[in-house]
Amino acid sequence: MDLLGAPKRGMFRDFAGTGAAGLPNGCDSISEARFALPAVQDPATFVETHFSPGTYEDNGKRVKFSKGTTTLAFKFKGGVIVSVDSRASQGSYIGSQTVKKVIEINPYLLGTMAGGAADCLFWERNLGMQCRIFELRNKERISVAAASKLLANTMNSYKGMGLSMGTMITGWDKKGPQLYYVDNDGTRLKADENKPYFCVGSGGTFAYGVLDTNWSFDLSDEEAIELGKRAIYHATYRDAYSGGVNNVYHVQENGWVQVYSDDTYKSHDKYSAEREAAANP
Amino acid sequence: MSGLMEYNGSAIVAMTGENCVGIAADTRHGIRQLQTVSCNRQKTFQVTDQCFVGLAGLATDVQTLSQLLNFRMKLFTLREERKMQPRMIGNMISSMLYEKRFGPWFTEPVVAGLDDNHKPFVCAFDFIGCLSTAEDFVVSGTTSEQLFGVCESFWRPGMNKDELFETLSQCLLSGVDRDCLAGWGGVVHVITPDEIITKKLKGRMD
Amino acid sequence: MQAPVEQRWSPYADNGGTCMGVAGEDFVVVAADTRLSQGYSIHTRNCSKVTQLTDKCVIASCGMKSDAITLHKHLKARMVMYEHQHRRQPSVTAIAQMLSTTLYYKRFFPYYTFNVLCGVDDEGKGAVYNYDAIGNMERVPYTTSGSGSALVMSVLDAQIAKSNQTIATPSLDKAGIVELCKDVLSSVGERDIHTGDYAEIFLIDAAGISKTEFDLKLD
Repeated sequence: MDLLGAPKRGMFRDFAGTGAAGLPNGCDSISEARFALPAVQDPATFVETHFSPGTYEDNGKRVKFSKGTTTLAFKFKGGVIVSVDSRASQGSYIGSQTVKKVIEINPYLLGTMAGGAADCLFWERNLGMQCRIFELRNKERISVAAASKLLANTMNSYKGMGLSMGTMITGWDKKGPQLYYVDNDGTRLKADENKPYFCVGSGGTFAYGVLDTNWSFDLSDEEAIELGKRAIYHATYRDAYSGGVNNVYHVQENGWVQVYSDDTYKSHDKYSAEREAAANP
Repeated sequence: MSGLMEYNGSAIVAMTGENCVGIAADTRHGIRQLQTVSCNRQKTFQVTDQCFVGLAGLATDVQTLSQLLNFRMKLFTLREERKMQPRMIGNMISSMLYEKRFGPWFTEPVVAGLDDNHKPFVCAFDFIGCLSTAEDFVVSGTTSEQLFGVCESFWRPGMNKDELFETLSQCLLSGVDRDCLAGWGGVVHVITPDEIITKKLKGRMD
Repeated sequence: MQAPVEQRWSPYADNGGTCMGVAGEDFVVVAADTRLSQGYSIHTRNCSKVTQLTDKCVIASCGMKSDAITLHKHLKARMVMYEHQHRRQPSVTAIAQMLSTTLYYKRFFPYYTFNVLCGVDDEGKGAVYNYDAIGNMERVPYTTSGSGSALVMSVLDAQIAKSNQTIATPSLDKAGIVELCKDVLSSVGERDIHTGDYAEIFLIDAAGISKTEFDLKLD
């Protein structure tokens, strides 16, 4: 699809030189050569000022989806727990309470969504494709480090184009459970002993508060899942832009399992009773 | 509209029934839009025994204006030794808001009351005092669009006090469930000639 | 001295309108008004927002009309290409994913359209997909988009999802949902100036696609 004429192609490639986004043998990834660009002198600046999520409006509502979000993931002895809310907001209007913010890239890799929903959805799907190609070429699964690097490289090549994405890539590979944070600036951080967890999104600060007080490496599986639920509940309670269904995934040696999926509203009575009990011993 | 209108978040709806009138509001108090600081902010104020005023908008202005209203109501009673009718309260609020035409209160009030003939009266204002009355319902706050949708679908003429309570509650809860900035519980007042029924609603807490 | 003048170009317009889609067990209902407006003026009162893509699938688009026309034309061409290559029509799920990527390939110069894709899937179940302008999609039981979407959504939450209701009531049947769509669009017509004139309702089930029209207010 090239609606804007061939000459823009060359201009486009400067920003999208991801042809081989981490792929060996100079393989061109199929999807990337097709982006249409506006017919202006400097598409990158133009695109960033006009079409970044949030710069144009739909009846006074921002087009940007899921700006408000709480997603978190932490490492512990039993692997990695990923816990997310599922609200999509357009301005203050709630577009959906049932968004899937954990993207199942393949049976042993998970990605989370924060920022522009379409950006996350598209590029993590694209990542899934790149990982599959790696597998077919090398006859072994891609490491989480390599997978997250592929995504970070893609983000880096689109820098300044107004993409919006804050994601955590997690999985279990030869070196054990792995957790990486990747965002649209091209930042890529590895979770280790010093920072065993990440929280991304507007409700992240609240979730960090819960994790900072309750996290320990030696949590049992049940305790870890409960901590994931608790952190998301408290974030949805305090943060206006987080809410809806809480989805929890557990990354284990043989791949991920979805361990919980229910409306945060249902946990309110339990946690508020705990709060009452703590206040009036 | 100014961002100050969305700073704290609010949803208020007033509805008429058969010889009764009701007003409902959410209870969230947010700051800087996203942070919820409490779930028991008062947004509806009783001004006479048969009239409530709901104040949506900037919390600080809501507090000050409610105190100012209280003062004006007391002064009126002292001077005139009679009760102010809802329509009169509406006109008074309108002029109070317009007095601040060039440095306005960032609040959009709603009046709901029964007059001496038990006739329901509801009206709403913009933040500089343009009064608009309605035969059916009025809405205000960050959730106004959603509330317009549900009220337009669910309101019908001649509701008794129980039907009015149910309709008001369902409209408020359905409305705030699609607004990030309002919710976290609600309160409903139904005014009848004999009594004022006040009930708290349990809503979604996210 | 005169201050420098900045020239700005705004490529988008909002032509208003409201559409909605509701999925049933083995059917789907799509409703949309036919007003085409810009600002305070009505360009035409009879302009459909809905395009039929296959025997089991339609798309309704609000937002900017010119982008919607281009998008629908593009999608119809893709339907023909698919049929020629595979000797059958694409499934609703396939079209849903294709629409998502089509919208995302315009990420840097988006189609200003807010789409609702509805149809009956390969298992015979009603399917409704909701999209943002750049291709984020979600399969949902019911959805709405356009200028009156905020007004419609809460009503559907109450009437279809039955949220905040403690007493169980039977869920709506086919005729009930069609009636609900009519009621809701009429209500929206009262409060949203960009919605009105006439409404089209498409009912898709095993028997195919049937279309009915009804009047909204012309003011």
